[in-house]
Amino acid sequence: MTAKTGLAVMLAAVVGVGAVRSDWSPAAHGKQVQLSFWNGFTGPDGVVMLQLVRRFNEANPDVQVSMQRMDWGTYYNKLMVAVLDGRGPQVFVLQANSLPRMHKAGLMAPVSDCFGPGGISKDDFDPMVLSQVEYGKDTIGVPLDIWPFGLYCNVDMLKKAGLSGPPRDREEFVKAARAMRDGDHWGYALTDYRIVFQSLQPQFGGHYFDAKGRADLVNEGNLATLRFMKSLNDPNDRLVPPPENGLGWMGFRQQKVGMVIDGIYMLGDLMRLNDFHYVGAPVPVIGKVPGTLADSHILCARSGLSQDQRSAALRFIRFLSENSIAWAGAGQVPARRSVRATEAFRKMPVQYAFSQQIPYIHYFPRTVNIFELNQELGLAIEQVIRRRKTPEDALAFANARIQESLDRTGTEAGP
Amino acid sequence: MTYAQRRNLSGYLFLAPYLASFLAFVVLPIVVALGLAFMQFDLTTPSKTHFVGTQNFVEAYRDVRVWDSLKATLSYTALIVPSMVVSALAIALGLHAMARGRNVIRALLFVPGMLNVAVTGILWRWFYNNEFGLFNYLLKRVGLAPIPFLSEKAYAMPSIVLMSLWWTLGGAAVVMLAALQQIPTPVFEAAMLDGANGRRLFSRITFPLLKPVLLFVVVTNTIAGFQVFGQPFMLTNGGPELATRGLVQYIYELAFNQYRLGYGAALSWVLVAIIAAFAFVQFRLMRGGAD
Repeated sequence: MTAKTGLAVMLAAVVGVGAVRSDWSPAAHGKQVQLSFWNGFTGPDGVVMLQLVRRFNEANPDVQVSMQRMDWGTYYNKLMVAVLDGRGPQVFVLQANSLPRMHKAGLMAPVSDCFGPGGISKDDFDPMVLSQVEYGKDTIGVPLDIWPFGLYCNVDMLKKAGLSGPPRDREEFVKAARAMRDGDHWGYALTDYRIVFQSLQPQFGGHYFDAKGRADLVNEGNLATLRFMKSLNDPNDRLVPPPENGLGWMGFRQQKVGMVIDGIYMLGDLMRLNDFHYVGAPVPVIGKVPGTLADSHILCARSGLSQDQRSAALRFIRFLSENSIAWAGAGQVPARRSVRATEAFRKMPVQYAFSQQIPYIHYFPRTVNIFELNQELGLAIEQVIRRRKTPEDALAFANARIQESLDRTGTEAGP
Repeated sequence: MTYAQRRNLSGYLFLAPYLASFLAFVVLPIVVALGLAFMQFDLTTPSKTHFVGTQNFVEAYRDVRVWDSLKATLSYTALIVPSMVVSALAIALGLHAMARGRNVIRALLFVPGMLNVAVTGILWRWFYNNEFGLFNYLLKRVGLAPIPFLSEKAYAMPSIVLMSLWWTLGGAAVVMLAALQQIPTPVFEAAMLDGANGRRLFSRITFPLLKPVLLFVVVTNTIAGFQVFGQPFMLTNGGPELATRGLVQYIYELAFNQYRLGYGAALSWVLVAIIAAFAFVQFRLMRGGAD
């Protein structure tokens, strides 16, 4: 066989195999709908989500979902540019706090037809969870989960300090923080200042905006929350190590901090550690009433899809929602009540403990200026904790900056 | 076609792939950014994009956060450039004087630079951690008080500069070593025969002959200093109290978190003007001597 003949045979073989393979695939019959699914689940949760996608693909041969994960830090930029350019994924995940901005940009199509007879029952969601995705008459996404912020405790440190369990109120919290203080071990450490503030703020009755949607940070609830956080960093009676962002969680992982307030999404990090005994509990009632911050991952469908794509996308979204018990295994709290009521979920101790707060969770305020709000608020909180500004001055400055950004975008904000 | 024309053509053909990508990915975005700087362009409302003249630049002048971030950028640049030049020169002189092992050390100096900024940042964030970090653990072991490396305004920027030095010093030191090795040995020998001591050899021969390389190191590090982003972003995310948030990070936040592309583009051009002004002054100050 000459070289030319050999090459021709090889080419023919490749083309032949390609033809046969393409004939085998359902796509060749024009039946298979291709869906691209983007999310920011880059940790162990991404592995669980990938398994769910595979299960869906196996159960639905006429649809092929391919999942792409990317870091949340750059996710929204890529998503927004891709969707605005008409090349975005058909299905994607948004955090509830970003919905107002993405809705304003017109990224999502309503998915109201996911609900109702034969679909998902709206009664299976708590009202405050469902309200996150309701914009006028439209429902613009399906909540996949709820991530409440709660209290993580080191069991060994609790026991060593003679404590029977996680603290439930302010008195028990301060007592536990003092009891676990020993050398370079701390009873409590601040994690992200703003997140801690926003977790405690509902307990003191604080709010961000007034009834007219204007910035209203200087209110008694916010001031009381800040005063409490400031008191933790009293140089004469220090209950927390000198503040440093990120320090709290690192100390908790190193088993040098007894308690931290953080999101359920940090559970995945703890699940990888060996010989570390921890429990999850609701945020202690530091203020007047129980309350904590929460957010949700929302399953959304892109606007401008063809009928086939939209139908497949909604089927995929329903599948993820209905199978969210598997998602809970990745360290999440499912949004659906029926899933949370299962025995399997009750056996997930931290998820179950955090989920007990759902009746009194508070979401981020509904505003397109959420980034500006969080940044200015975060700076104000930091200045108060470090004792550079009074709570009144810091909040007043942040308030003016936030109102400026609201004026610029010509928007008002929700509660 | 003459030989000279063919030669020219082949030169352009070799250049073509780079030139095409340079035009597409450098020149075009710069031109687009210049146009955007005079527009109100918000990604959340692209249909409302309109020409606003110099409004973005006026807003930049009035924006207190611009001045804060410019202050942080200047502070970083003012610290990194002299410390880089002095450290790199000292290391290069030391390596030049070594008879053995120079190549091994030169290679080792390059190792940190091979790490990605994210890896370097995470590593040093742990080193610097106030309560549970390596440096303060070592300080406590020898009976010294811990240092709030990243949590106090006074220490945060110097700590970032120290990390940057560790990360990038190798490159500058090797460039200076190469320049040192280019100085002919007979020049030193003649000066020594004339009775010059070590200090005079450095001030009269080494330093003047290194000026072109010093200019290169100063200018490139000044530009890099004004463009600093990764190190503070990874170590402090601009904190404490925005003390380490440089202009590039602020531009990034405006453009990609707040989606204010017009205002972000205007600030980018302000940064370009600042860098150009500094580079021009540095050239003017050092070129005479270097020539």
